[in-house]
Amino acid sequence: MKLAICCAIVLMILSSAVCDAHEIGTTRVTAVFQQSTSYEIEIVTDAAALVEKLETLSGESIQSGLDAAALQKQLQAHDSLFRRRFALTFDGTAVQPEIHYAVAGIATATSSPVATITMAGGLPAGAKQFAWTYAWTFATYSLTVRETGAERTEWLEGGQVSAPMSLALSAHTPDRIATGFRYLALGFTHIVPNGLDHMLFVLGIFLLSRRLREVLTQVSAFTIAHSITLALSVYGIVSVSPKVVEPLIAVSIAYVAIENIFMSELRPWRVALVFAFGLLHGMGFAGALKDLGLPRSEFVIALATFNVGVEAGQLAVIAAAFLLVGWYCGRRHWYRRLVVVPASVLIACMAAYWTVQRLYFVS
Amino acid sequence: MKIVRFIVALILTAAPLAAHDMWIEPTSFLPDAGKVIGVKLRIGQDFLGDPLPRDPALIDQFISVDSSGRKPVYGHDGADPAGLVRVADSSLLILGYQSHPKPITLPAATFNQYLKEEGLDAIAELRTRRNQTNSEAREIFERCAKSLVRYGTPANGQADRALGFTLELVAEKNPYTLHAGEDLPVSLMYEGRALPGALVVAMNRSNPMSKISARTDKTGHVKLRLPEDGVWLVKAVHMIPAPAGSNADWASFWASLTFEVGK
Repeated sequence: MKLAICCAIVLMILSSAVCDAHEIGTTRVTAVFQQSTSYEIEIVTDAAALVEKLETLSGESIQSGLDAAALQKQLQAHDSLFRRRFALTFDGTAVQPEIHYAVAGIATATSSPVATITMAGGLPAGAKQFAWTYAWTFATYSLTVRETGAERTEWLEGGQVSAPMSLALSAHTPDRIATGFRYLALGFTHIVPNGLDHMLFVLGIFLLSRRLREVLTQVSAFTIAHSITLALSVYGIVSVSPKVVEPLIAVSIAYVAIENIFMSELRPWRVALVFAFGLLHGMGFAGALKDLGLPRSEFVIALATFNVGVEAGQLAVIAAAFLLVGWYCGRRHWYRRLVVVPASVLIACMAAYWTVQRLYFVS
Repeated sequence: MKIVRFIVALILTAAPLAAHDMWIEPTSFLPDAGKVIGVKLRIGQDFLGDPLPRDPALIDQFISVDSSGRKPVYGHDGADPAGLVRVADSSLLILGYQSHPKPITLPAATFNQYLKEEGLDAIAELRTRRNQTNSEAREIFERCAKSLVRYGTPANGQADRALGFTLELVAEKNPYTLHAGEDLPVSLMYEGRALPGALVVAMNRSNPMSKISARTDKTGHVKLRLPEDGVWLVKAVHMIPAPAGSNADWASFWASLTFEVGK
C-alpha cells in the first residue's frame, strides 16, 4: 500500500499542472457524493505533523514519538480545534459533519503513522455547489471529487478556498443507461490499459494452447470465478485483505507463465487452478470497484456492467494477442520456441518482481 | 501562551501561498551504530511542518557527507521520508538538500508581508523605489537545507562544512559539543562568498515561537546564543532580482540548518 501511495503521489506530481505554487505535500482529500443524499470526505495526512500543530495551537508542549493509538487519541481530543481550520460549504452555507479519526502505521526510518479523517453527513436538500477549505497543511494538496464514477481533481494550497464545484451530477437521478455505460467503461479500462497484471494473466491463459476451445475453457473458468468473488466482496460477504490478495494475484500470474514454459496441453488441474486464481482476481476487481464508488440506487447495474466491462477488456486482450501473434504465428513450428516460451519467461519475471514488491515493499 | 496560540492561529489561517520554510528532519539526530535513518523533508512555518515527499523533478542535490566523502541520498520517488541513510562512520554526518528553482506568484500584500517577516529590507526598498508595492510578485525560490547528525562521541574537530549550495548556513562549531546557553557561531554564504547583513533566525522545537535572531556581520558571521537544549532550526533567506529570462521578478534562496543540542 505504501508503495502504491508513493507511486500515486509521483503520478499526481508528474501529471499535475501545479507549477506556480508551493511544493506538493502528502495530504490528500477525497470528497464522494452519493446521489443527492449524502457526502463523505476523507482526509489522508501525516498524523504526527497534524497533531504537532494541534498541540501547539492549544498551548500544549509537542510530544514526539507518539504511537498510532496515542496520535489517534490526540486527534479525537482536539476535535473542536480541528473543526476551526476547515470549512465545508454547500451553496455558501457551512455544515458541520460527523468526524471519525483513525491513525494507522508505525514510526520507523521508512514510514510514519497516517491519519485518515472521515467526515460524513447528509447533503442539504437541493444543494447545487460545494466549496472546501483546509488550513491544516502548509503544502499544496489535492482535492478529488467523485460523483457516481466521475472524478475531478483540484490542487489547493493550505487555507485556500476551492472554486465552487457544481454538484450537477448528483443533483438529479442518474440515468440507468448512462450509469451502465459508465461502469462498463470503468470495468474495461480497469483491464485495458490500467490493469497490466490482469492483462498478463490473460495473456498467460492465451499462450498455453493454440486451440480456441482450450483458451475458452480457461477464460470461462476465470470469468465464473471472478464474477463470484467480485459480487461476494462488493456485498461484504467475503473480505480478504489486499495485503493477501495482491501478492497472490502476482503469484498466480507467475504460476500460469511458468507452467506455460513446461506444458503445452491443457490439463484438468490447470482449469481448476485458473478457477481458483479467478477467485483471487475477483477480490482485486472488487477493491478497485469500491475505490471508484458504487451508486447505491444503481448498485446492481453498476456491479453487473463493471463485470461485463472487465470481461470485455479480457476478451480484447485475447483478440489483440490473436491478431498480433496467434493468427499468423500460431501454426508455425517455431511458435512455441520463439513466442510462447520467451513471452512466458518475461511474464514470469514481471510477476515475480510484483510478488516481491507487493510482499515486502507494499505495507 | 495565549499569544503563541494567536500567532499560530494567524499562521494557519494566513492567506494561502505565503512563504514557507523548508528544512530536513532526520528520524534521529543521534542514531546508533549502523542504523538506517530516514531523511524527512519538511515544509512549514515556525518549525511546524508538513512532509515533503521525494520529488525527482525538484531535487538538484540530495547528499550526505561524512569523513568518508560525499554520497547521494537514495529513496523512493514520492516517499516520505524522502531519503534513507545508513550511519556508518563515527563522525558528524551532514545531510544536504538543494532544490531546483520553483516558480510561485504571490499577491502584493502577501509578498510585502513576507519581505518584512524575513528581514528582506533591501528588496522591500527596491520595490518601493520601483513603485511595485501594489504589484503581485513572480518569484522563483530555491531550497538549500542542511542537517547535522551525530554518531559516536562528539569532538570539536568534527565540524560542519560548506557543501557548495547557493545559499548556505555553516555551523562553525560542532553543535553536539554545545550546551544550553552557549554560543553557536554560524556563517552564511551566498554563491561561496560571505553574505553580510542577512537576518539569521534560530528556533527550538519545543518553543518555536521564541526566536533568536541576528544579522550577519561584514564577514557573513553571526553568533547565536542557544538558551535551551533540544532540536534547533536555524534559517536565513536571501533574495535578488531574478535573472533575465527566468520569467520571474525575484529569485529567493532559503537556507536552513537543523541539529540537536545538549545530548
